[in-house]
Formats: sequence, structure tokens, C-alpha cells
Amino acid sequence: MNASANSVIVMNGVSKAFGPHVVAKDLSISVSKGEIVALLGRTGAGKSTVLNMVMGNLRADSGTVRVAGLDPYGEFKKLRGKMAVSFQQDRLLPWRTAIENVELGLLILNISKAEARKTAKLWLARVNLADAEDKYVHELSGGMRQRVSLARALAVDPELVLLDESFSQLDHVTSKALRADFSKVAREFKKTCLFVTHRIEDAIEMADRVLVLRPGAGLCLEERVAANVREDEAARAALHDRIAAAMGDHGE
Amino acid sequence: MENTQTKSDIRVAQAPANVPNAEARVKSDLIPTLVVSALLILVIQIASFYVPSYIIPAPAEILKSAWQILSRDANHIFTTGIRLFIALFFAMGIGVLFGIIMGTLPKIRPYLRALVIIDTGIPALSWMLVAIFWFKEPEFRIFFILSVILIPFYALNIYDGIRALPKEWVDMIESFRPNRWQVLRYLVFPHIVPYIFLTTKSIVGYAIRMAIFAELVASAIGIGAQMNLAQSNFRIDQIFAWTLLLVIINLSLQAFVAMLEKIALRYRAEASVR
Ligand SMILES: Nc1ncnc2c1ncn2[C@@H]1O[C@H](COP(=O)(O)OP(=O)(O)OP(=O)(O)O)[C@@H](O)[C@H]1O
Ligand SMILES: [Mg+2]
Repeated sequence: MNASANSVIVMNGVSKAFGPHVVAKDLSISVSKGEIVALLGRTGAGKSTVLNMVMGNLRADSGTVRVAGLDPYGEFKKLRGKMAVSFQQDRLLPWRTAIENVELGLLILNISKAEARKTAKLWLARVNLADAEDKYVHELSGGMRQRVSLARALAVDPELVLLDESFSQLDHVTSKALRADFSKVAREFKKTCLFVTHRIEDAIEMADRVLVLRPGAGLCLEERVAANVREDEAARAALHDRIAAAMGDHGE
Repeated sequence: MENTQTKSDIRVAQAPANVPNAEARVKSDLIPTLVVSALLILVIQIASFYVPSYIIPAPAEILKSAWQILSRDANHIFTTGIRLFIALFFAMGIGVLFGIIMGTLPKIRPYLRALVIIDTGIPALSWMLVAIFWFKEPEFRIFFILSVILIPFYALNIYDGIRALPKEWVDMIESFRPNRWQVLRYLVFPHIVPYIFLTTKSIVGYAIRMAIFAELVASAIGIGAQMNLAQSNFRIDQIFAWTLLLVIINLSLQAFVAMLEKIALRYRAEASVR
């Protein structure tokens, strides 16, 4: 039980199964305020399921999940305005333009139309989509949609950001720029972030800490990313190998 | 060789690749429609030579009657149109409301659904006869008849539409913790708009026929009543003329709804199925 007052997310002894299929068993995770944590694991390891439990869409079979001290499933509405999610699929609404999609969360939080428009504009520019504002979803490429989805989550300025493979589906140049932007914003404003990725490089680059999830079990690796790792080529390679080994040598 | 033949045959049914689909479809439909119409006129013309004019009047006579109707009885067309519009919009409103209730309130759903399903089983004729007993005012009779006949179409289609709402979208919007009204406004309403159009397009022809029927049994004004009158006066030319006008009204209304749909759903990519 490591639920310091500083923890934004605390999962304690959480188990989850779909029918006979066990996805998580006795899983404990804690993320402190202002921390950026990467969640890794092979496909089907249960990463999205963990995010779903944190955001309150799924209920844990046993154990406790707390977000900002609240049960995200049982006290669903109380977390209003506290977190935002960028899902693995973009989940944009086709009848709204790019900018209207970004406005959605703001409007739900009862922010005025004019204010929402201003904020949405700003975020679309940050994800390099200033000239795609008025495009409908079917007029956007896959990568553009992912960026709109990211902007929609970040625009509401939540304390906690949950990202599911938000950078993995973009080309390297866009992904790199966006990751750098995101890290900068997140650190500057002390955002807490749990992000799912299958790309070890991304995790090492962005995260303060990496967690590796093993299918049907708990964590099999939990490691702080030391500051020197990003500069020191050898240390970086060693960490990369440890993560890859924990993932079962299936990551690249 | 055989193969390419089949392929190009299939392609005939489709729009040329460089023209937007919907427009192309309208254009490619227009010529066959004109051809078939011309053939029908020809058949009536030839038939009118061989049978007496009180069985099949000549096309020229039909046109003359149609012209007379338009210049003298346009108010009947107008009346029917107004009745149809009012009842259609009312049925749309109530049907959509029922559909949303069924789609969002599981406790009420089975009861409302049972009510709607039973309604679909009641023949239109029963409603017409019952309406005559129940209401004195013809306007109210027609309004009632059309409403009870049309509401279930909207209610059931909207309900199906809500059931088809992707869970991913619901989870997405719920992640912002909206209230019930916001879910309706930002997700459910926009999502069911295509279903409203779909329903309207598919029932508009049926609605016109039912309106005419209802007028025939329940009113002294309107197209149905006038057709009844033409029948009592042995004016087959007028019956043909009204029929002609009804076909035109029907097609124009369908085109009108399709146009509205195109504007309202402009966010959608035109799909072309190969
Ligand atoms: N709603 C559900 N019903 C039944 N099984 C589910 C459900 N959601 C997930 N699963 C199963 O749980 C396991 C973990 O799924 P999850 O989506 O969490 O994996 P993931 O780690 O996010 O994988 P990926 O990297 O491919 O996105 C999978 O085996 C999946 O089949
Ligand atoms: Mg996933």
C-alpha cells in the first residue's frame, strides 16, 4: 500500500478477467502527481484494459482503483474535468469538423462557445493542424485524426492525461515533434500522465518511469528512467534490452 | 473475355468515376424515367383508340383535366399537402421521442416497444374507420389517422439507430463526464439524423397514399375527396389526371427530402459500393 497523498493513480491488487480469460492478476500501480509513466506490454497484454479501469469504463473484479482519491467506476461523475483520454482509435465524431471535435470536451465542461473555440484553435495549431480546422473527419488522414484526438484530450487541461498509443501510429518526424511538444507541456504544467505504448524508444524518451505488463499477470518490470539514460548510449541500450526481455522479446 | 464483360455490366449500375455519385445517380435515373414515361403515354394513347374514353381517356384529355385541376382545384392539393406536412412532422417528433426513450430508458423500453409493435399490427383501415367514429372534425380525423400510422416507423428506426451507436463513442464522450442532456445533444441527436432521413425517405410515398385514403373516407376537401367526387361523376379523365399529379408530387417530395438529406449529411463521404 503505497498510497501517498501525492499519488494521482493508485491501483492495488487489481484483478480483471473477461469470462475465463484473465487479463490482470494482483496488479499494483501507482503514479504520482506530475509523473509521466509509460505502460508497455505485448499486444493483448491488457494495457488498454488497465486504462479502461483507470478511466472508470471498466470495473475491477477485485482490488482497489483510486484516481485523485476517488473510485473512478463507482464515483464516475465526481471526476468531471479531472482527466482526459486519447484512445487507441481516434473516436472522432464524423459530423463535427476537426475544430468542433477538439471543442467537445470544453463544451461539456460548460466553457463558453467563444472560449472553447479559442482554446481548440490553439491546440490544433500545437498539433500542426491549423489549416485543417474546418475539415470533416473523412477528409483527414489517419495520423491527422490521431492528432485531433490528442488535441481534444489535452484541450480540457486535465490534471491526469491517459494516452493509448497516441504517438505510435504517426510517422517518425511527426511523432517525434509531438512527443517533444507533449513532454514539454506536461512537465511545464506538472501534468500527470499514464501513456500506453509498444515502442520502447518512446517510453525511454518520454517517461520518468516504465512499467511492463505481462499478459494475465501483474507487472513484470518497473523501473525509474534515470536522467543519464537519455544521454548515455550504453545505459540506454541496457534499459532497452531489459524492457524488451520483460516484454518477452517481442518488442523492437 | 467473359469476365471483363461481366465486370463492365456491373459497372453500368454505377456512377462514372469522375462525377460525384449522387448527382450522377440522379442524371442516370432521369433518362430511363423519361423513356418509361414516354412508353406509358404511348401505351395509353394506343389503348385509347381501341376502348371507349370512359375506360381509358386519351393522354391529351388527361392533360387537359390536369390543367383544369391545377387552375381550379389547386387549393385541394394545397390542403392535402398541409395535412401531410403537419402529420409527418408530428409523427417525426413523437416517433423520435419514443425511439429515444426506448433507446435510453431500459425500464420503460419493453412497454413502449410493445405499444408500438401492437400499433404496427393494426391495419390502417381500422384506424380510418375508428377515427370516423371518434372524431367529428375531418382535420382531426386525418391528423389522427396519419399520426398513428406513421409514428411506429420513426420510433422503431430511431430505436434501432440508437442501438447501433458505437460503444467506443459512448465511452469517449463519457470520459468527459457529461450530463444526460449533453450526451443527447452531442452524441445521440446527431447520430440519429441519418435515421430520420432514411425513415422519411422510405415512408413519404406511403404517407401520401395514406393521406389520400384518409381524405377519401374522412373529408370533403383534399385530393382524396376530389378523387372520390370524380369517381361518383364518372370522370375517369380526372382520376387519371389526379393520379398523374400524385405521381409528380410524390417524386418531387422524394427529391426534396433527398436534397435536404444531402445538405444535412454533407459531412459524410459518399460511399460507392463496388
Ligand atoms: N470487453 C472485452 N471483452 C472480452 N475480452 C476483452 C475485452 N477487452 C479486452 N479483452 C481481452 O483482454 C485482453 C487484453 O486486451 P487489451 O485491449 O487490454 O490489450 P492491449 O494490451 O491494449 O493490446 P494492444 O496493444 O493490442 O492494444 C485481450 O486478450 C482481449 O482479447
Ligand atoms: Mg490496446
